[in-house]
Amino acid sequence: MQVIDWRMIIEKHGPAVWQTAYRLLGNRADAADCFQETFVSALKFSRDRKVRNFSALLTRFATARSIDQLRRRFRRASLGSTQADSSAVASTNPGPLQVVQQQELTDRLRDSLSKLPSREAEAFCLRYLNDMSYKQIADELGITTNATGVLIHRARAKLREFFELSVKENM
Amino acid sequence: MKEDENILERAIKAIRNEQIPAGPSQDLVDATVTKLSETQEQSGAASSGGVISLVDRVEAIRSIARFAAAAVLLIVFGYAVGRFSAPRPPDIEELQAALEPAIRRNVVAQLGSDLQAGLATCYDQLSDELSRQQRRDMAQFAVQTLSASSSITNELLAELIEAIDAAQTQDRQWFTAALGQMEAERMRESAAFASFAVRTEEELQGIAQFLSYGMPEDSRVYEFENSDNPDERREK
Repeated sequence: MQVIDWRMIIEKHGPAVWQTAYRLLGNRADAADCFQETFVSALKFSRDRKVRNFSALLTRFATARSIDQLRRRFRRASLGSTQADSSAVASTNPGPLQVVQQQELTDRLRDSLSKLPSREAEAFCLRYLNDMSYKQIADELGITTNATGVLIHRARAKLREFFELSVKENM
Repeated sequence: MKEDENILERAIKAIRNEQIPAGPSQDLVDATVTKLSETQEQSGAASSGGVISLVDRVEAIRSIARFAAAAVLLIVFGYAVGRFSAPRPPDIEELQAALEPAIRRNVVAQLGSDLQAGLATCYDQLSDELSRQQRRDMAQFAVQTLSASSSITNELLAELIEAIDAAQTQDRQWFTAALGQMEAERMRESAAFASFAVRTEEELQGIAQFLSYGMPEDSRVYEFENSDNPDERREK
């Protein structure tokens, strides 16, 4: 059995996990829950199998748990009652209108991601939010590179549809 | 579609550029480490709870032994049933007597079918040979018949030509005679016409003279003027 110093693992990969979770969830409380769930999942995973790349594994788990959390959140509440942490997006550079627009875009993307199938959402996030290559995503998800491409393509197509729909609804 | 693509790209960019607070906090790290420890302890307790006690082991061994005994009994029972229900070794003579008629029938049937096949083949060959021979004979006969018939045909044709020539000659003779007769008739009729014309002229002259004698001078002149007769006009 693999002996793992979890404190060291958390200290080393914790920031990346935090960033992944926070970027997808947009608020501190959900990100903290997701952070813990990610490491618990990694612990359970490491009991059965030997972990070779903790960084990729934790990123994948963080993404998956975040998407689960998003799905739960958007199931509970409508898009309007987002729990986004507005203080977190405060920035000195952009104007207020731009901040609001960006906030709306990110909320809409989170909403759309929560409606995607898990694998597609996971592949999309790993590719576009975590900058992982197709090969790395394929290795982590246990599928072929082509299948990864297909998942990402489908995810993009569905997201476009969701965006189109939301634009029509807003009109 | 392009606009949606742009919105999607902008959304991705926005979410990537979103300000993320520094983290995780030390409290969160500690809480996570604690939670992991608890999870490990729970799983450890679960695995320690899974130790098999001696009583359980004995019970397991007893159940395995019971299962093995049942399996042995089943095998023995099966062997015994198979042994007693197996058929006796066959008697060779009986077997031979039983099989001989069938084999004989099979052999006869096989021979019959072979003979039939051979005969069928011979029949086919013979029929082919006979048909070829027949065709040859027919061709020869046709050649002979044609050669014989050609000479007879030539003779018949010569006779026919002679008959046609004779008929044509006779027709020509008849035609010439008819023409001669028609010419003679025509000459006779033309002579008759000539004599008739002469007589008519004479009669007309006689009539004219008769009329010239019986009528006054001016009247006679008038008569002659209206006459179509050239002789009368000449006299005038």
